[in-house]
Amino acid sequence: MNKISEWMDGELAAHETRLQVERVKQDVELRQCWDTFHLIGDVLRGEPALSQDFERRLATRLAGEPSVLAPRPPAVRRFATYALSAAASLSAVAVVGWLAFFNNPLVPQPEVAQSQIAPSPAAIPVEPQLASVPNDGTMNEYLIAHQEFSPSTEIQGLAPYIRGVSSSRQVKDR
Amino acid sequence: MVLRRWRELPRMSAPCRREGGDRRRLLSGRIASGVKTARLIVLLVFATPVPAAELDGIGWLTKMASASRRLNYSGIFVYQYADRVETSRIAHFVNPAGGEFEKLETLDGPVREVIRTNDQVSCYLPDTKTVIVEPRSTRRFPALFPEQLSGVSDNYTVIVAAMDRVAGLDCQVIVLEPKDRLRYGHQFCAEAASGLPLRARTFSEKNRPLESFAFTEVRIGGHFSRDQVRSRYAAKSRTWKVDHSSLVLSDVPADTGWTLTQQPAGFRKLTELKRSIAGRTAMVSHIVYSDGLAAISVFIEPLPKARPVNSLSHQGAVNIYVRPVADHLVTVLGETPAATVMQVANSLEFRGGRAR
Repeated sequence: MNKISEWMDGELAAHETRLQVERVKQDVELRQCWDTFHLIGDVLRGEPALSQDFERRLATRLAGEPSVLAPRPPAVRRFATYALSAAASLSAVAVVGWLAFFNNPLVPQPEVAQSQIAPSPAAIPVEPQLASVPNDGTMNEYLIAHQEFSPSTEIQGLAPYIRGVSSSRQVKDR
Repeated sequence: MVLRRWRELPRMSAPCRREGGDRRRLLSGRIASGVKTARLIVLLVFATPVPAAELDGIGWLTKMASASRRLNYSGIFVYQYADRVETSRIAHFVNPAGGEFEKLETLDGPVREVIRTNDQVSCYLPDTKTVIVEPRSTRRFPALFPEQLSGVSDNYTVIVAAMDRVAGLDCQVIVLEPKDRLRYGHQFCAEAASGLPLRARTFSEKNRPLESFAFTEVRIGGHFSRDQVRSRYAAKSRTWKVDHSSLVLSDVPADTGWTLTQQPAGFRKLTELKRSIAGRTAMVSHIVYSDGLAAISVFIEPLPKARPVNSLSHQGAVNIYVRPVADHLVTVLGETPAATVMQVANSLEFRGGRAR
Protein backbone atom coordinates (compact mmCIF):
# COMPACT_ATOMS: atom_id res chain seq x y z
CA MET A 1 0.00 0.00 0.00
CA ASN A 2 2.67 2.48 0.90
CA LYS A 3 5.96 0.57 0.59
CA ILE A 4 6.86 1.14 4.21
CA SER A 5 7.01 -2.57 4.80
CA GLU A 6 9.33 -3.14 1.84
CA TRP A 7 11.40 -0.21 2.92
CA MET A 8 11.93 -1.68 6.35
CA ASP A 9 12.72 -5.05 4.84
CA GLY A 10 15.44 -3.40 2.82
CA GLU A 11 13.75 -4.35 -0.43
CA LEU A 12 13.54 -0.88 -1.93
CA ALA A 13 16.09 0.35 -4.39
CA ALA A 14 18.17 3.35 -3.35
CA HIS A 15 16.16 5.89 -5.34
CA GLU A 16 12.89 4.50 -4.02
CA THR A 17 14.21 4.71 -0.49
CA ARG A 18 14.99 8.36 -0.96
CA LEU A 19 11.49 8.98 -2.23
CA GLN A 20 10.06 7.11 0.70
CA VAL A 21 11.97 9.24 3.19
CA GLU A 22 10.61 12.36 1.54
CA ARG A 23 7.08 10.97 1.67
CA VAL A 24 7.33 10.10 5.33
CA LYS A 25 8.62 13.55 6.09
CA GLN A 26 5.61 15.17 4.51
CA ASP A 27 2.82 12.69 5.10
CA VAL A 28 1.37 12.44 8.61
CA GLU A 29 -0.55 9.30 7.70
CA LEU A 30 2.58 7.56 6.54
CA ARG A 31 4.29 8.50 9.74
CA GLN A 32 1.44 7.02 11.76
CA CYS A 33 1.71 3.90 9.66
CA TRP A 34 5.42 3.74 10.47
CA ASP A 35 4.63 4.16 14.16
CA THR A 36 2.01 1.43 14.06
CA PHE A 37 4.36 -1.00 12.40
CA HIS A 38 6.86 -0.45 15.13
CA LEU A 39 4.27 -0.75 17.83
CA ILE A 40 3.30 -4.14 16.37
CA GLY A 41 6.92 -5.18 16.32
CA ASP A 42 7.44 -4.03 19.89
CA VAL A 43 4.37 -5.87 21.14
CA LEU A 44 5.41 -9.04 19.30
CA ARG A 45 8.74 -8.94 21.02
CA GLY A 46 7.24 -7.93 24.34
CA GLU A 47 9.14 -4.66 24.47
CA PRO A 48 7.85 -1.60 26.27
CA ALA A 49 6.49 1.11 23.98
CA LEU A 50 8.68 4.10 23.25
CA SER A 51 7.92 7.27 25.14
CA GLN A 52 6.01 10.22 23.70
CA ASP A 53 9.14 12.22 24.12
CA PHE A 54 11.01 9.82 21.89
CA GLU A 55 8.51 10.22 19.07
CA ARG A 56 8.62 13.97 19.32
CA ARG A 57 12.37 13.98 19.15
CA LEU A 58 12.29 11.48 16.33
CA ALA A 59 9.90 13.69 14.40
CA THR A 60 12.12 16.69 14.96
CA ARG A 61 15.08 14.74 13.70
CA LEU A 62 13.12 13.43 10.76
CA ALA A 63 12.24 16.90 9.63
CA GLY A 64 15.88 17.87 9.41
CA GLU A 65 17.13 14.52 8.21
CA PRO A 66 18.67 13.89 4.79
CA SER A 67 17.92 10.69 2.93
CA VAL A 68 18.88 7.52 4.70
CA LEU A 69 19.99 4.56 2.66
CA ALA A 70 19.02 1.33 4.28
CA PRO A 71 21.42 -1.49 3.50
CA ARG A 72 20.01 -4.74 2.19
CA PRO A 73 20.35 -7.34 4.90
CA PRO A 74 21.66 -10.71 3.72
CA ALA A 75 18.68 -12.85 4.78
CA VAL A 76 15.92 -10.43 4.00
CA ARG A 77 12.89 -12.42 5.05
CA ARG A 78 14.18 -13.33 8.47
CA PHE A 79 14.72 -9.70 9.31
CA ALA A 80 11.22 -8.62 8.54
CA THR A 81 9.98 -8.55 12.10
CA TYR A 82 13.20 -7.21 13.48
CA ALA A 83 13.15 -4.39 11.04
CA LEU A 84 9.86 -3.22 12.48
CA SER A 85 11.73 -1.84 15.40
CA ALA A 86 13.96 0.16 13.18
CA ALA A 87 12.72 3.51 14.43
CA ALA A 88 16.15 4.22 15.69
CA SER A 89 17.67 3.92 12.28
CA LEU A 90 15.76 6.89 11.00
CA SER A 91 17.40 9.20 13.44
CA ALA A 92 20.61 7.37 13.73
CA VAL A 93 23.74 6.23 12.12
CA ALA A 94 22.08 3.07 13.27
CA VAL A 95 21.92 2.13 9.62
CA VAL A 96 25.50 1.15 10.35
CA GLY A 97 24.38 -0.64 13.42
CA TRP A 98 21.32 -2.16 11.86
CA LEU A 99 22.59 -5.70 11.79
CA ALA A 100 24.33 -5.59 15.11
CA PHE A 101 21.56 -3.91 17.03
CA PHE A 102 18.65 -5.82 15.70
CA ASN A 103 20.33 -9.15 15.51
CA ASN A 104 21.43 -8.96 19.08
CA PRO A 105 18.39 -9.16 21.32
CA LEU A 106 20.49 -8.12 24.31
CA VAL A 107 21.23 -4.63 23.13
CA PRO A 108 19.75 -1.82 25.18
CA GLN A 109 17.66 -0.37 22.38
CA PRO A 110 16.28 2.70 24.15
CA GLU A 111 19.84 3.88 24.73
CA VAL A 112 20.57 3.48 21.08
CA ALA A 113 17.62 5.55 20.11
CA GLN A 114 18.62 8.33 22.43
CA SER A 115 22.30 8.60 21.79
CA GLN A 116 23.18 7.57 18.27
CA ILE A 117 22.40 10.63 16.27
CA ALA A 118 23.60 10.82 12.71
CA PRO A 119 26.32 13.41 12.33
CA SER A 120 26.04 13.70 8.55
CA PRO A 121 24.81 11.76 5.54
CA ALA A 122 28.43 11.04 4.68
CA ALA A 123 28.61 8.64 7.60
CA ILE A 124 26.08 6.33 5.99
CA PRO A 125 27.83 3.35 4.45
CA VAL A 126 26.74 1.67 1.28
CA GLU A 127 27.53 -1.83 2.56
CA PRO A 128 25.97 -3.21 5.72
CA GLN A 129 28.48 -3.12 8.56
CA LEU A 130 28.52 -4.34 12.09
CA ALA A 131 28.54 -1.75 14.83
CA SER A 132 30.19 -2.75 18.04
CA VAL A 133 27.96 -2.71 21.10
CA PRO A 134 29.07 -2.73 24.74
CA ASN A 135 29.30 -6.14 26.36
CA ASP A 136 26.12 -6.70 28.33
CA GLY A 137 27.49 -9.50 30.49
CA THR A 138 26.75 -12.39 28.13
CA MET A 139 30.45 -12.59 27.23
CA ASN A 140 31.73 -12.60 30.82
CA GLU A 141 32.53 -16.32 31.01
CA TYR A 142 34.53 -16.05 27.79
CA LEU A 143 36.34 -12.96 29.03
CA ILE A 144 37.32 -14.79 32.21
CA ALA A 145 38.39 -17.89 30.28
CA HIS A 146 40.47 -15.70 27.95
CA GLN A 147 42.14 -13.73 30.71
CA GLU A 148 43.99 -16.75 32.05
CA PHE A 149 45.95 -16.98 28.81
CA SER A 150 46.53 -13.30 28.16
CA PRO A 151 50.01 -11.88 28.79
CA SER A 152 48.26 -8.88 30.36
CA THR A 153 47.52 -11.12 33.35
CA GLU A 154 51.26 -11.72 33.70
CA ILE A 155 52.01 -8.03 33.72
CA GLN A 156 49.03 -6.67 35.63
CA GLY A 157 47.96 -9.57 37.78
CA LEU A 158 44.28 -9.91 38.60
CA ALA A 159 43.20 -6.39 37.63
CA PRO A 160 42.14 -7.18 34.03
CA TYR A 161 39.74 -9.84 35.34
CA ILE A 162 37.44 -6.98 36.20
CA ARG A 163 36.49 -6.98 32.51
CA GLY A 164 34.76 -10.30 33.08
CA VAL A 165 32.70 -9.19 36.06
CA SER A 166 32.31 -5.49 35.49
CA SER A 167 29.17 -5.50 33.43
CA SER A 168 27.30 -8.34 35.09
CA ARG A 169 25.10 -5.83 36.84
CA GLN A 170 23.97 -4.33 33.56
CA VAL A 171 22.31 -7.61 32.70
CA LYS A 172 20.55 -7.67 36.00
CA ASP A 173 19.45 -4.06 35.75
CA ARG A 174 17.43 -4.73 32.67
CA MET B 1 75.51 5.27 65.14
CA VAL B 2 74.63 2.72 62.50
CA LEU B 3 71.45 1.81 64.28
CA ARG B 4 70.38 5.38 64.53
CA ARG B 5 70.91 5.82 60.80
CA TRP B 6 68.89 2.70 60.08
CA ARG B 7 65.99 4.19 61.87
CA GLU B 8 66.14 7.12 59.52
CA LEU B 9 65.84 4.94 56.45
CA PRO B 10 62.12 4.97 56.03
CA ARG B 11 62.23 8.72 55.76
CA MET B 12 64.76 8.69 52.94
CA SER B 13 63.17 9.82 49.73
CA ALA B 14 63.17 8.29 46.29
CA PRO B 15 66.11 10.28 44.86
CA CYS B 16 68.41 8.40 47.24
CA ARG B 17 67.20 5.12 45.86
CA ARG B 18 67.76 6.01 42.27
CA GLU B 19 71.46 6.45 42.84
CA GLY B 20 71.75 2.70 42.81
CA GLY B 21 74.06 3.09 39.80
CA ASP B 22 76.90 3.77 42.23
CA ARG B 23 76.78 0.20 43.39
CA ARG B 24 79.97 -1.01 41.83
CA ARG B 25 81.99 1.85 43.21
CA LEU B 26 80.47 1.14 46.60
CA LEU B 27 81.31 -2.50 46.62
CA SER B 28 84.92 -1.85 45.77
CA GLY B 29 86.05 -1.82 49.32
CA ARG B 30 84.84 1.42 50.76
CA ILE B 31 82.55 -0.45 53.10
CA ALA B 32 85.50 -2.25 54.68
CA SER B 33 87.37 1.01 54.90
CA GLY B 34 85.05 2.04 57.68
CA VAL B 35 83.62 5.12 56.00
CA LYS B 36 80.10 4.21 56.93
CA THR B 37 77.82 7.11 56.35
CA ALA B 38 74.06 6.82 56.29
CA ARG B 39 74.23 7.50 52.58
CA LEU B 40 76.30 4.40 52.05
CA ILE B 41 73.93 2.22 53.96
CA VAL B 42 71.00 3.59 52.03
CA LEU B 43 72.72 2.87 48.76
CA LEU B 44 73.48 -0.67 49.81
CA VAL B 45 69.99 -1.39 51.00
CA PHE B 46 68.29 -0.14 47.89
CA ALA B 47 70.80 -1.27 45.29
CA THR B 48 68.90 -3.49 42.82
CA PRO B 49 70.60 -6.18 40.71
CA VAL B 50 70.27 -3.97 37.64
CA PRO B 51 70.13 -0.26 38.34
CA ALA B 52 66.85 1.19 37.14
CA ALA B 53 68.57 3.73 34.91
CA GLU B 54 70.10 0.97 32.79
CA LEU B 55 66.88 -0.96 32.09
CA ASP B 56 65.55 -0.87 28.57
CA GLY B 57 61.86 -1.18 27.71
CA ILE B 58 61.89 -4.97 27.58
CA GLY B 59 63.77 -5.00 30.87
CA TRP B 60 61.03 -2.91 32.40
CA LEU B 61 58.32 -5.25 31.09
CA THR B 62 60.11 -8.20 32.66
CA LYS B 63 60.51 -6.28 35.89
CA MET B 64 56.79 -5.37 35.95
CA ALA B 65 55.73 -8.98 35.41
CA SER B 66 58.07 -10.19 38.10
CA ALA B 67 56.95 -7.49 40.56
CA SER B 68 53.27 -8.33 39.97
CA ARG B 69 53.90 -11.95 40.83
CA ARG B 70 56.42 -11.73 43.62
CA LEU B 71 55.53 -8.65 45.63
CA ASN B 72 53.00 -8.32 48.38
CA TYR B 73 50.81 -5.32 47.70
CA SER B 74 47.34 -4.02 48.38
CA GLY B 75 45.49 -0.95 47.25
CA ILE B 76 42.62 0.68 45.43
CA PHE B 77 42.51 0.93 41.66
CA VAL B 78 40.16 2.46 39.16
CA TYR B 79 39.15 0.80 35.92
CA GLN B 80 38.02 3.25 33.25
CA TYR B 81 36.48 2.39 29.91
CA ALA B 82 34.09 4.23 27.62
CA ASP B 83 32.39 6.68 29.96
CA ARG B 84 32.49 4.42 33.00
CA VAL B 85 34.69 4.35 36.06
CA GLU B 86 34.78 1.44 38.49
CA THR B 87 36.73 1.35 41.70
CA SER B 88 38.09 -1.89 43.15
CA ARG B 89 40.24 -3.06 46.00
CA ILE B 90 43.03 -5.44 45.17
CA ALA B 91 45.43 -7.43 47.34
CA HIS B 92 48.23 -9.74 46.27
CA PHE B 93 50.21 -11.93 48.64
CA VAL B 94 52.82 -14.60 48.25
CA ASN B 95 53.02 -17.07 51.09
CA PRO B 96 56.34 -18.32 52.48
CA ALA B 97 56.08 -21.41 50.24
CA GLY B 98 55.87 -19.22 47.15
CA GLY B 99 52.13 -19.68 46.58
CA GLU B 100 50.33 -16.75 44.99
CA PHE B 101 47.04 -15.42 46.37
CA GLU B 102 45.16 -12.48 45.00
CA LYS B 103 41.80 -10.85 45.58
CA LEU B 104 39.91 -8.24 43.65
CA GLU B 105 36.76 -6.76 45.11
CA THR B 106 34.60 -4.16 43.39
CA LEU B 107 33.66 -1.17 45.51
CA ASP B 108 30.93 0.30 43.27
CA GLY B 109 27.52 -1.26 42.73
CA PRO B 110 26.82 -4.86 43.70
CA VAL B 111 29.75 -6.69 45.29
CA ARG B 112 31.75 -8.86 42.97
CA GLU B 113 34.88 -10.65 44.04
CA VAL B 114 37.57 -12.39 42.03
CA ILE B 115 39.90 -14.64 43.99
CA ARG B 116 42.99 -16.12 42.42
CA THR B 117 44.82 -18.93 44.12
CA ASN B 118 47.49 -21.18 42.70
CA ASP B 119 45.16 -23.53 40.93
CA GLN B 120 42.04 -21.55 40.14
CA VAL B 121 40.27 -18.25 39.68
CA SER B 122 36.85 -17.92 41.35
CA CYS B 123 34.41 -15.12 40.68
CA TYR B 124 31.84 -14.57 43.42
CA LEU B 125 28.69 -12.82 42.21
CA PRO B 126 26.51 -12.41 45.33
CA ASP B 127 23.65 -10.64 43.54
CA THR B 128 22.94 -13.73 41.46
CA LYS B 129 24.32 -16.15 44.07
CA THR B 130 26.73 -17.59 41.54
CA VAL B 131 30.36 -18.63 41.67
CA ILE B 132 32.25 -19.01 38.42
CA VAL B 133 35.26 -21.26 38.87
CA GLU B 134 37.97 -21.18 36.26
CA PRO B 135 40.82 -23.66 36.68
CA ARG B 136 44.27 -22.34 35.94
CA SER B 137 46.07 -24.12 33.18
CA THR B 138 48.80 -26.54 34.20
CA ARG B 139 50.72 -25.17 31.28
CA ARG B 140 51.24 -21.88 33.09
CA PHE B 141 53.35 -19.38 31.31
CA PRO B 142 56.46 -18.37 33.13
CA ALA B 143 56.44 -14.61 33.61
CA LEU B 144 57.14 -13.31 30.13
CA PHE B 145 59.27 -16.00 28.56
CA PRO B 146 61.96 -15.01 26.01
CA GLU B 147 59.89 -15.96 22.96
CA GLN B 148 57.12 -13.73 24.16
CA LEU B 149 59.47 -10.80 24.72
CA SER B 150 60.90 -11.15 21.22
CA GLY B 151 57.30 -11.06 20.01
CA VAL B 152 56.86 -7.78 21.84
CA SER B 153 59.91 -6.15 20.24
CA ASP B 154 58.96 -7.48 16.79
CA ASN B 155 55.49 -5.98 16.99
CA TYR B 156 55.90 -2.88 19.12
CA THR B 157 58.42 -0.08 19.50
CA VAL B 158 59.15 -0.11 23.20
CA ILE B 159 60.14 3.28 24.60
CA VAL B 160 61.30 4.15 28.08
CA ALA B 161 59.65 7.57 28.37
CA ALA B 162 59.42 10.14 31.12
CA MET B 163 58.88 9.68 34.83
CA ASP B 164 55.40 10.22 36.19
CA ARG B 165 53.59 9.92 39.47
CA VAL B 166 50.70 7.57 40.24
CA ALA B 167 49.08 7.02 43.64
CA GLY B 168 51.70 9.25 45.18
CA LEU B 169 54.60 7.13 43.91
CA ASP B 170 57.22 7.95 41.29
CA CYS B 171 56.88 5.70 38.29
CA GLN B 172 58.58 5.08 34.97
CA VAL B 173 56.44 5.42 31.86
CA ILE B 174 56.94 2.63 29.30
CA VAL B 175 55.29 3.16 25.91
CA LEU B 176 54.56 0.36 23.46
CA GLU B 177 53.80 1.76 20.03
CA PRO B 178 52.28 -0.78 17.65
CA LYS B 179 54.20 -1.28 14.41
CA ASP B 180 51.01 -1.91 12.43
CA ARG B 181 47.24 -1.55 12.72
CA LEU B 182 46.63 -5.11 13.87
CA ARG B 183 47.23 -4.17 17.52
CA TYR B 184 46.63 -1.42 20.01
CA GLY B 185 49.13 0.90 21.68
CA HIS B 186 49.92 0.40 25.35
CA GLN B 187 51.39 2.51 28.08
CA PHE B 188 52.51 1.37 31.51
CA CYS B 189 53.79 3.28 34.49
CA ALA B 190 55.97 1.08 36.70
CA GLU B 191 56.84 2.05 40.25
CA ALA B 192 60.41 3.33 40.10
CA ALA B 193 61.95 1.07 42.73
CA SER B 194 59.96 -2.17 42.66
CA GLY B 195 58.66 -2.12 39.09
CA LEU B 196 55.07 -2.79 40.16
CA PRO B 197 52.78 -1.52 37.38
CA LEU B 198 50.78 1.32 38.90
CA ARG B 199 48.96 2.21 35.71
CA ALA B 200 48.17 0.46 32.42
CA ARG B 201 46.49 2.19 29.52
CA THR B 202 45.41 1.00 26.09
CA PHE B 203 45.06 3.29 23.09
CA SER B 204 43.05 2.85 19.91
CA GLU B 205 44.38 3.05 16.34
CA LYS B 206 43.48 6.75 16.52
CA ASN B 207 45.46 7.08 19.72
CA ARG B 208 42.35 7.55 21.80
CA PRO B 209 42.34 6.00 25.29
CA LEU B 210 40.22 2.85 25.32
CA GLU B 211 40.82 1.55 28.77
CA SER B 212 42.84 2.40 31.85
CA PHE B 213 43.75 0.60 35.06
CA ALA B 214 45.35 2.83 37.70
CA PHE B 215 46.07 2.62 41.38
CA THR B 216 44.87 5.58 43.40
CA GLU B 217 46.34 4.16 46.56
CA VAL B 218 48.79 1.32 46.99
CA ARG B 219 50.88 -0.22 49.73
CA ILE B 220 53.83 -2.26 48.58
CA GLY B 221 55.22 -4.85 50.99
CA GLY B 222 53.69 -6.20 54.16
CA HIS B 223 53.36 -9.75 55.38
CA PHE B 224 51.30 -12.55 53.89
CA SER B 225 47.74 -12.29 55.13
CA ARG B 226 45.38 -15.11 54.15
CA ASP B 227 42.37 -13.16 55.38
CA GLN B 228 42.98 -10.35 52.96
CA VAL B 229 42.85 -12.70 49.99
CA ARG B 230 39.94 -14.90 51.10
CA SER B 231 36.41 -14.37 49.82
CA ARG B 232 34.03 -13.06 52.41
CA TYR B 233 31.49 -15.34 50.77
CA ALA B 234 33.64 -18.44 51.20
CA ALA B 235 31.17 -19.99 53.68
CA LYS B 236 27.95 -18.47 52.41
CA SER B 237 28.57 -19.48 48.82
CA ARG B 238 28.26 -23.21 49.60
CA THR B 239 24.58 -22.97 48.76
CA TRP B 240 25.16 -20.89 45.65
CA LYS B 241 25.14 -22.06 42.08
CA VAL B 242 28.65 -23.01 41.01
CA ASP B 243 29.57 -22.78 37.33
CA HIS B 244 32.70 -24.78 36.73
CA SER B 245 34.90 -24.50 33.72
CA SER B 246 37.27 -27.33 33.11
CA LEU B 247 40.28 -27.88 30.95
CA VAL B 248 41.25 -31.15 29.40
CA LEU B 249 44.59 -31.41 31.03
CA SER B 250 47.34 -32.87 28.95
CA ASP B 251 50.93 -32.06 28.24
CA VAL B 252 50.31 -32.00 24.55
CA PRO B 253 47.87 -29.32 23.47
CA ALA B 254 44.80 -30.87 21.91
CA ASP B 255 44.46 -30.63 18.17
CA THR B 256 41.00 -29.18 17.74
CA GLY B 257 41.03 -29.63 13.96
CA TRP B 258 40.59 -25.90 13.40
CA THR B 259 43.11 -23.64 11.77
CA LEU B 260 43.50 -20.10 10.44
CA THR B 261 43.98 -19.53 6.76
CA GLN B 262 45.05 -15.95 7.45
CA GLN B 263 46.81 -15.75 10.78
CA PRO B 264 47.31 -12.06 11.62
CA ALA B 265 50.96 -11.01 11.18
CA GLY B 266 53.00 -11.14 14.36
CA PHE B 267 50.61 -13.48 16.16
CA ARG B 268 51.56 -17.05 16.92
CA LYS B 269 49.59 -19.86 18.47
CA LEU B 270 50.15 -20.11 22.21
CA THR B 271 47.93 -23.04 23.01
CA GLU B 272 45.05 -25.13 21.76
CA LEU B 273 42.82 -27.09 24.10
CA LYS B 274 39.42 -28.64 24.69
CA ARG B 275 37.54 -27.31 27.65
CA SER B 276 34.17 -26.46 29.05
CA ILE B 277 32.97 -22.94 29.70
CA ALA B 278 31.12 -21.99 32.87
CA GLY B 279 27.37 -22.20 32.37
CA ARG B 280 27.61 -24.08 29.07
CA THR B 281 27.29 -27.82 28.72
CA ALA B 282 29.07 -28.61 25.47
CA MET B 283 32.83 -28.98 25.16
CA VAL B 284 34.48 -26.00 23.58
CA SER B 285 37.66 -25.81 21.55
CA HIS B 286 39.83 -22.95 22.75
CA ILE B 287 42.79 -21.68 20.71
CA VAL B 288 44.92 -18.77 21.89
CA TYR B 289 47.12 -16.56 19.70
CA SER B 290 49.42 -13.84 20.99
CA ASP B 291 51.80 -11.21 19.67
CA GLY B 292 53.68 -11.22 22.96
CA LEU B 293 51.51 -8.62 24.65
CA ALA B 294 47.97 -8.93 23.33
CA ALA B 295 46.14 -12.24 23.12
CA ILE B 296 43.26 -13.46 20.97
CA SER B 297 41.09 -16.37 22.09
CA VAL B 298 39.05 -18.44 19.66
CA PHE B 299 36.18 -20.46 21.15
CA ILE B 300 34.40 -22.99 18.94
CA GLU B 301 31.28 -24.76 20.15
CA PRO B 302 28.26 -26.54 18.65
CA LEU B 303 25.70 -24.17 17.20
CA PRO B 304 22.81 -23.54 19.60
CA LYS B 305 19.29 -24.35 18.35
CA ALA B 306 18.46 -20.70 17.79
CA ARG B 307 21.13 -19.89 15.23
CA PRO B 308 22.74 -16.61 16.28
CA VAL B 309 23.77 -14.03 13.71
CA ASN B 310 27.13 -12.26 13.46
CA SER B 311 27.63 -9.75 16.23
CA LEU B 312 30.39 -7.48 17.42
CA SER B 313 30.73 -6.20 20.97
CA HIS B 314 33.42 -4.83 23.24
CA GLN B 315 34.47 -4.57 26.85
CA GLY B 316 37.07 -1.88 27.34
CA ALA B 317 39.95 -2.73 25.01
CA VAL B 318 38.64 -6.24 24.33
CA ASN B 319 36.70 -6.76 21.11
CA ILE B 320 34.38 -9.74 20.77
CA TYR B 321 33.10 -11.14 17.49
CA VAL B 322 30.55 -13.93 17.29
CA ARG B 323 29.99 -15.76 14.02
CA PRO B 324 28.36 -19.05 13.08
CA VAL B 325 30.60 -21.21 10.87
CA ALA B 326 28.79 -24.20 9.36
CA ASP B 327 27.24 -25.97 12.35
CA HIS B 328 29.53 -24.31 14.87
CA LEU B 329 29.43 -21.08 16.80
CA VAL B 330 32.72 -19.20 16.79
CA THR B 331 33.48 -16.54 19.40
CA VAL B 332 36.72 -14.64 18.94
CA LEU B 333 37.88 -12.08 21.45
CA GLY B 334 41.03 -10.25 22.33
CA GLU B 335 42.57 -6.96 23.37
CA THR B 336 43.15 -6.02 19.73
CA PRO B 337 41.27 -3.86 17.21
CA ALA B 338 37.95 -5.29 16.04
CA ALA B 339 39.37 -5.81 12.54
CA THR B 340 42.03 -8.19 13.88
CA VAL B 341 39.50 -10.21 15.85
CA MET B 342 37.24 -10.37 12.78
CA GLN B 343 40.12 -11.42 10.54
CA VAL B 344 40.76 -14.35 12.84
CA ALA B 345 37.08 -15.33 12.93
CA ASN B 346 36.67 -15.01 9.19
CA SER B 347 39.72 -17.09 8.33
CA LEU B 348 38.92 -19.97 10.66
CA GLU B 349 38.60 -23.28 8.87
CA PHE B 350 37.97 -26.84 9.90
CA ARG B 351 40.59 -29.13 8.41
CA GLY B 352 37.97 -31.85 8.42
CA GLY B 353 39.15 -35.43 7.92
CA ARG B 354 42.74 -34.69 8.68
CA ALA B 355 41.89 -33.65 12.22
CA ARG B 356 42.76 -36.15 14.88
